[in-house]
Amino acid sequence: MMKLMKSRVKTKILCSLAAVSLSLGGLAQADEWPEDNIRLVVPYSAGGTTDLLSRKVADLLQKELTTVVVENRPGAGSTVATGQLARGGRGSDHMLLMASPGHTIGASLYPNLRYDPVADFAFVRNVINIPNVMVVPGDSPYNTVAEFVEAAREQELSFSSPGIGSSVHMSGELFKNLTQTKLVHVPFRGSGEALPALLSGDVDVAFENMPTVYPHIQSGKLKALAVTTPTASEFLPDVPPMQEAGKGYGLETYETSAWFGLIAHKSFPEEGMVKLQAALDKVMAGEDFQKFLPQFGAEAGTVVGDDFRDFVQSELKKWSDVAEKANLKR
Amino acid sequence: MENFSEVLTLFLSVDNFFAIAVGVLVGVVVGAIPGLTATMAVALALPFTFSMEPVTAILLLVGIYKGGMYGGSITAILIRTPGSPASACTLLDGYPMAQQGKAKKALKTALYSSVVADMISNIALIFFASYLAKIALNFGPPEYFWLICFSLTIIVSVSGSSVVKGLIAAGLGIIVSTIGLDAVYGTQRLTFDNYNLMDRVSFIPLLIGLFAIPEVIEFYTSRVAPHIRTAVSGASLTWQEFKGLLKTIVRGSLIGVIIGAIPGTGATSAAFISYSEAKRTSSRKANFGKGEIEGVAAAESGNNGVAGATLIPLLSLGIPGDVITAIILGAFMIHGLTPGPVLFQENLTLVYALFCGIMVSSFVLVFVGNAAIRYFSLIADIPKTILLPIVLMFCIYGAYAVNNSTFDIGLMLAFGVLGFVFNRTGIAAAPFLIGFILGPMFEDNLRRTMLISKGDLSIFFRGPITWVFVLFTAASLIFAIRRYWVARKEDALG
Repeated sequence: MMKLMKSRVKTKILCSLAAVSLSLGGLAQADEWPEDNIRLVVPYSAGGTTDLLSRKVADLLQKELTTVVVENRPGAGSTVATGQLARGGRGSDHMLLMASPGHTIGASLYPNLRYDPVADFAFVRNVINIPNVMVVPGDSPYNTVAEFVEAAREQELSFSSPGIGSSVHMSGELFKNLTQTKLVHVPFRGSGEALPALLSGDVDVAFENMPTVYPHIQSGKLKALAVTTPTASEFLPDVPPMQEAGKGYGLETYETSAWFGLIAHKSFPEEGMVKLQAALDKVMAGEDFQKFLPQFGAEAGTVVGDDFRDFVQSELKKWSDVAEKANLKR
Repeated sequence: MENFSEVLTLFLSVDNFFAIAVGVLVGVVVGAIPGLTATMAVALALPFTFSMEPVTAILLLVGIYKGGMYGGSITAILIRTPGSPASACTLLDGYPMAQQGKAKKALKTALYSSVVADMISNIALIFFASYLAKIALNFGPPEYFWLICFSLTIIVSVSGSSVVKGLIAAGLGIIVSTIGLDAVYGTQRLTFDNYNLMDRVSFIPLLIGLFAIPEVIEFYTSRVAPHIRTAVSGASLTWQEFKGLLKTIVRGSLIGVIIGAIPGTGATSAAFISYSEAKRTSSRKANFGKGEIEGVAAAESGNNGVAGATLIPLLSLGIPGDVITAIILGAFMIHGLTPGPVLFQENLTLVYALFCGIMVSSFVLVFVGNAAIRYFSLIADIPKTILLPIVLMFCIYGAYAVNNSTFDIGLMLAFGVLGFVFNRTGIAAAPFLIGFILGPMFEDNLRRTMLISKGDLSIFFRGPITWVFVLFTAASLIFAIRRYWVARKEDALG
C-alpha cells in the first residue's frame, strides 16, 4: 500500500513538475524568440537580384538576432515557395520569405493559387525598393515622355522585358493602359537578352530596373525619360518622375518599383515580429546597409507591418487590373 | 608602364592565386558530380566573396566557372553521366572510348582540348573584346533566328544510324520544351494545371534522366552483365595524336568564342555545333559516335571556348550572356563596380588584373585537371554493382538539388525510362536534347522578330549577319542531304 502511495505521490510530483516546466517553456518561448536558426526562403534561383539582396539582409540580420540560413526555392514565378510558406507547419515560426513584385503579380498570372497572398501571411517590413526607369535607345527621336506617348498613340511601338509577369513587363503594361497607347510587348528571357535589343534599337522602349540600365544611361547609349517612382531618384536627379513627366497623359497616378520585403506565416509569433522589426530597423539604419544600397541603385524600404500589408494589398489590386486588361489573367 | 606595374601590384597577391586554385578545383569537382553544376557552385560561392577584394572575388568565381566547364566531362566519359549540360556532347564519343578501355586517352583529350580552347577564348577576350561586343550588339531576334536554324541542322550529324529516328527524337524534344507558360501570352501549355511544370521542364533532371539512368536500368535488366572496361591505366594521349587534333580544337574554340560572345546561346549549343563541324570535315566520319577521339576534342573545345568569351559582353557591355555571368555581374555590383564601357574608363587596372588572373586560371586547369583524372579515374575500378547504386543516388540528389523539388526526381526517372526506350529502339538521345534546348529559342526568336517587325517578313534578311547564317543553314542542309543519299546508295550496293 505504502509503495502504491509513494508511487502516486511520485507521479503527482512528476506531473506537476512537467506542468510547471511546460508553462515555463511556454513563457521561455514567448521571451526567447528566436529559439532556433531563422530560415530565409528566397523564392528565386541563387545568384539573382532577390537572392543577392536576401543574402546581404540575412548577413546583417544575423549579427542582431541569430544565424539566418538562406534557402533558394525557385519555381512557377515565386508561387511554389510562397505556397509552402502559406501552408505553415513545423518551423514556420522561424521562417521568413523575401517577397517581391512576383508575390502580387504571380497571384494575377498563375491560376488556382492555393493561398491568399495577403490573408495567409504576416507582413514584417518592406526592406528595399529599386526604381524602374523608362529608357529609350540613345539615338531615339523621343526626348520626353510626352513626345513618346504622342508617337505611340499614332503608331505601334514596342517595349521589351526580361519575361512575362516581371515587374519590368507589368510596368510597361500599366503605362500602356494609362496612356491608351499602342505598345507591343516583346518578351525576352532575362535582361541579358532584353538589353541588347534595346541598345540596338530593335525595341523602342523599356521600363527596366535601375541597376540594369544605369551604366548605359551614363555612357549615353540609353536615354532616361522618367523614373517610375513618385519622386526623382538620387541616382538620376535630372530625370523627372513619371507622375510629373506624364502629366496630362494619364500618368498622374503611375507608380511602380521592384520592392523587396520580408513576410512570414500568418501565425508568426507576435514577440518574434516585434524583435524582428526592431532588428531590421537597426540593420537598415546601419552604415553597412546604407553603403550597400547605392550598389543596386536601391532605396531603403519604408512601410512596416500593417502598412506593408496595405501596400501589398494595393499592389495586388493594381496588377490584377493590369493583368486583366492585358489579357494575362488566367 | 606605370599602369603595368599597378596591374601587377593588384594581381600578384597570394590571395588571388589561392582564389584561382580553389576556384578551379571546386569547379572541376562540382562539375564532375552529376546534377551539381558550375552555375550552382558559382551561386553558392558568391556570399563568401562579399568580404574579399574585388579582383580576388571575381577570380574565384571565374575559376569555378572554368573548372566546372571541364569537370563535367569527367563523369560524362567515365560513367555516361554528364556533370554539366555542356558536356552532354562529350559523352557521345567519350563514353564509347571509355568502354573500349581508352578512358585515360579520352579524359586527357578532353582536358587538353579544354585548356587550349580556354586560352584561345581568353586571348579573344583580351584582344578582341570591343570588336566582338559590337557583333554581339548587332545580333537581334532575326539574327538569332537564323543562328538557331543553322544550329538545328546539326541534328542530322548526331542522329546516329538513322536520320529519321533522329528527327523523331528532336521532334519529341521540341514538344517537351513547349511545356510551361507561353512566353508571350502567359497561357499554359501542356502543364495539366501542375505548378511544377509552369516554369518549363527542368533541364538538369532531363539531362541526367536521359543519359545516366538508362545505363543503370540497362545494367539491371541485362541478363549478362556488360563487359565494360573503363580502366584508366590504358594508353594516354600522345603528342602525335594531339597534333592531329589541333585543327579540330582550334576550330571548336573559335566556334565557342563566337557563340560565347553572343548573349543567350550557351556552351551546349557551341559543343554540338563544333562536334557537327568536326564530323562533317573529318576523314573518319563513320567512327563518330563510336569512340572517335576527334569527337571528344571537338565537343570539349566547343564548350570551353565559350568560357572566356561570355565575359566579353559582360565586361564590355555589362550584359550577362548566361546565368553564370549574371551571377558574376552581381559580384561586380556587390563590390561597387559596374561592368560596361565605364569599367574600362574608370577601373582599367582592375580589368587588366582580371585578365592576368583569367590567363593564369587556364594553366591551373592543366594541373588540377590532371590530378582530377588521377583521382576520379579510381571510379572506373569500382565494380558496377557498387558504382551504379552510388551513381543513382547522386543522380537523385542532383535532380532534387536544382529546385529542392521532389517532383524533379520523378521527372528524372521518367526521362530515364524514355532514355532506356531510346536505347533499346536505336534512337539517339542527343537530337532529343538539341530539340529541347533549341526549340524554345527558335520559337521565341521567331515570335520576337514578328512582333518587332509588325509582321513584315523582310526583317529576316535585314543585314549581312542574317545572310551569312541563311547561307550556312542552306549549305549545311545540302551537305546533310547529300551525305544521306550517298550513305543510302552505299547501303544499297551492300
